[in-house]
Amino acid sequence: MTDRPPRLARRLLERALPRDVRDAVTGDLAEVFARDCRARGVSLARLRYWRKTLSFSGRFLLERARERARPRLSWMDVKLGFRMLVKHPGLTLVGTIAMAFAIAIGAAAFEFLDQVVHPTLPLHEGSRIVGIRLWHAAANGVEEQALYDYTTWRGRIQSIEDLGVFRTVERNLVGADVPGEPIMTAEITASGFAVARVEALLGRTLVPADEQPGAPPVVVLGHDVWQARFSGDPGVVGRAVQVGTASRTVVGVMPERFGFPRSHSLWVPLRLSDLQFGRRQGPWVYVFGRLAPGVSLAEAQAELTTFGMRAAAESPETHEHIRPEVLPYGQTVAPLFDELSPRTFRSINLFFVTLMVLVCANVALLMFARVATRRTELLVRTALGASRGRIAGQLFAEALALGSVALVVGLSAAGFVLRWWLDVSRLEANGRLPFWYGDRLATATVVYAGVLAILGAAIAGVIPALKATARGLDARLRQSSAGGGGLRFGGVWTAVIVTQVALTVAFPATAFLVRQTVVQIQSVDAGFAAERYLSASLEMDPEFARGEDGMIRAAFPEARFRATLADLARRLSSEPDVAGVTFADRLPRTYHPARRIEIGADAAAASGDDGGPYRAGVASVGVDFFEVLGAPLVAGRAFHSGDLAPGARTAIVNASFVSSVLGDRSAVGLRMRELPDEPGDAAPGPWLEIVGVAPNLGVMAGDPGNTAGYYRPAAPGSVLPGNLVVHVRGDVAAVAARLHALAAAVDPTLRLHAVARMSDGDPTMWLEFDFLFKLLTLVSGIALLLSLAGIYAAMSFAVSRGTREIGIRMALGADAMWVAAATFSRPLAQVGLGVLLGAGLTAALVVAVAGGVSASGAGLVGAYAALVAGVCLLPSIAPLRRALRVNPAEALRGDG
Amino acid sequence: MTREALGEFEQMVLLAILRLGDNVYGVPIVDEIERRTSRSVAPAAVYVTLRRLEQKGLVESWMSDPTAERGGKARRCVKVTRNGLTSLRDSRRAIDRMWTGLDPKLKRELL
Repeated sequence: MTDRPPRLARRLLERALPRDVRDAVTGDLAEVFARDCRARGVSLARLRYWRKTLSFSGRFLLERARERARPRLSWMDVKLGFRMLVKHPGLTLVGTIAMAFAIAIGAAAFEFLDQVVHPTLPLHEGSRIVGIRLWHAAANGVEEQALYDYTTWRGRIQSIEDLGVFRTVERNLVGADVPGEPIMTAEITASGFAVARVEALLGRTLVPADEQPGAPPVVVLGHDVWQARFSGDPGVVGRAVQVGTASRTVVGVMPERFGFPRSHSLWVPLRLSDLQFGRRQGPWVYVFGRLAPGVSLAEAQAELTTFGMRAAAESPETHEHIRPEVLPYGQTVAPLFDELSPRTFRSINLFFVTLMVLVCANVALLMFARVATRRTELLVRTALGASRGRIAGQLFAEALALGSVALVVGLSAAGFVLRWWLDVSRLEANGRLPFWYGDRLATATVVYAGVLAILGAAIAGVIPALKATARGLDARLRQSSAGGGGLRFGGVWTAVIVTQVALTVAFPATAFLVRQTVVQIQSVDAGFAAERYLSASLEMDPEFARGEDGMIRAAFPEARFRATLADLARRLSSEPDVAGVTFADRLPRTYHPARRIEIGADAAAASGDDGGPYRAGVASVGVDFFEVLGAPLVAGRAFHSGDLAPGARTAIVNASFVSSVLGDRSAVGLRMRELPDEPGDAAPGPWLEIVGVAPNLGVMAGDPGNTAGYYRPAAPGSVLPGNLVVHVRGDVAAVAARLHALAAAVDPTLRLHAVARMSDGDPTMWLEFDFLFKLLTLVSGIALLLSLAGIYAAMSFAVSRGTREIGIRMALGADAMWVAAATFSRPLAQVGLGVLLGAGLTAALVVAVAGGVSASGAGLVGAYAALVAGVCLLPSIAPLRRALRVNPAEALRGDG
Repeated sequence: MTREALGEFEQMVLLAILRLGDNVYGVPIVDEIERRTSRSVAPAAVYVTLRRLEQKGLVESWMSDPTAERGGKARRCVKVTRNGLTSLRDSRRAIDRMWTGLDPKLKRELL
């Protein structure tokens, strides 16, 4: 046995130790080995050498791994990163726009959803305000009739203070200077103001004495109502106003933005003495309170559960499946979004993180192309000893500089998007968004956006760095520096470019389809002089009545509604500026519910595009509907009062119905009936005799372009929603004001909504389409920008990488066509594949929306794809010209 | 400028170098620490620490002439730099300040 250290151990050490300590350590270990040989013998010395070898190898390998994993980020790197932004303005612009877009959309969505799922009430200790709901375990839903339960809890629950209850009603406010829409009113216990801990701006809030029987009826005004209806009159307190049918004294005005319990503008006391309901009876109410000091939500829940179990034992017939639940307030009182669970919230955020990843993958493509142009710099740095981590750190810093600019732009845009989004939602919800929804970005959102920016920088900076510094970098860089290849766009970048181009084709097509839908709907001809007509939606509250079984139930007051409408119509008709008054449940140029219909056996069976029964829109209208609209029938007769008689089953179809359903056959005298939505769901409706053909009056039956419709006769007030149509001779605005006054005079509980000229249409109807269209247009623009930049980067890279080969080929006599084909075959294939994929997506979209693609439609999609392909190839022109101008002599000179 | 605090093992390595004087290298440093602290030390930990201290500028090294006993490999000799000495002094002061006034208390606790 030799007295030299084991060879295998020495080899292992040499591989494991860093170069700078390798000789010193192996020398020291050899010295110790010699000493051990003398002192302990060779065998033991070899054993000790092995032990040391393993120890040294393990420690230094760990050390090297730690050094590699640690990003080497210095202030100099960050400064260099910002310099690179200035040096490459094109990449800076494209990268900033793309990343800012993803950050803005992600942050705005986070903010909006966070306000919905984890709302922060802008009230003192708002997080301790809770809502209590009854959860019906068997029905898996909320039981809103909780008034009885509230009365059993009140005064007994220890863990929740100021327990209160409210219900929302809409009330006309009569006695104000300016008439307006009905006001969202809270019938609320005085404890609501104790829970909110907000003092009145003028006068006082509601107090417990207001709830007592015989107490004078009072009302508290919201700031908006005080300003809009009373012109901010400081002497409004003490004034008598009529709220619905009751005369009340104004006792206070609340401060601006106060909307507790949800988004209310009037508060009247809820008198429980007037509402003696049994278990699970009565109106829908919400119960709220404030957690007692030191009590947690779980402790409050435990106490409520005890109450729930007691109620179930005492009254199993009504409460066997009822479970009282204590929840953060916003989760019980924002029914608009109560379906949004925390899991959905996370899923939506995951979608936006994925969007960020996709966008940044594109930016990474551009960064990689830039890295490729800096190969000499990388080569020198690597030769000088820069580790992979050091180079990755520098590129990360450059991407971080880009990301920080994008963060600033993105957060500004997120604020704008959030305000836009809230405006749309507010308009759709008739201005009734919960009062705690704000349009300022929360700190959590800013942090979230920062995380998105760092994630984006990591993707856009580190991935290109890792790709560019992969194993064998030295050789590839040297090869590359000679103009002969080295770095290449591999499968990942190919996938990115192909996906990018496909989306560039598909997004504008989607935006176009959305726009086309809007145009189709908006271009539907009303068929009459809509600017001379006024429409209004009419509503009344349900009434509570005790049934034969002793149960109190809510029921719509049909007879009163009918009599009120008849009275209102009579009074309106006597106005000098009114030429006629009629009713309809659906107004022209609004959606009409589409019904599957069947034509009698004496006519050809009606079938839609899919071969099934045709769908046509239906409206129930007053018998004088066509006369008041000044739209004489095309054939047959109009409705008359005899059509309202029991057993009279008549209908009038429109011209579109005749052409599309009946194939222009004569309609009058035919029979038709409604079929259930799904075969077998219910029996078909009764046969109706078609007595006339009306002109097209803006029927929209579900699918865009389907204007086939039919009308059923209805008595005023017999159908809901009840819409009033007034033909105005003179000033429409004056008649609108008069309408408010007459309605209040006829019945203060009759509420008028959406009083507007019929030519104006429903302003909220287009909001979603408009929002979607603008968003898609923006996404399309950014996708196109990224595609063009990506294609340019890929092409430039291809030319740069192939310069030497082009030079050799040209020196050997290759022509320009060969140069173009050889250089661009790969990028062209990527663009071609992307366009094909995008065209396929577009065609699938058209099929989904329109139900199929016609020959002309397919041609249109093809032409569109060709156009996009042409646009996508525009950035290739400059690199192509550069390739054609390669000088063989200069290209080959770099070979040495 | 805030100086990075020295770890306990770093201090031991620096102190061992100071005790051993000139032309000191890894093997005697390991021996010195084991002898003075009466505990076993992983030689690899000493070499990793020496490398880190050199990267921080607290020690500097140079290669001596190679010898046959070492398989023709040179020794990497080390010495503590001025920064290393300052760091050691700072660490000593910090520890001393923490100890100040605690002796009576410790005595009481032990009694």
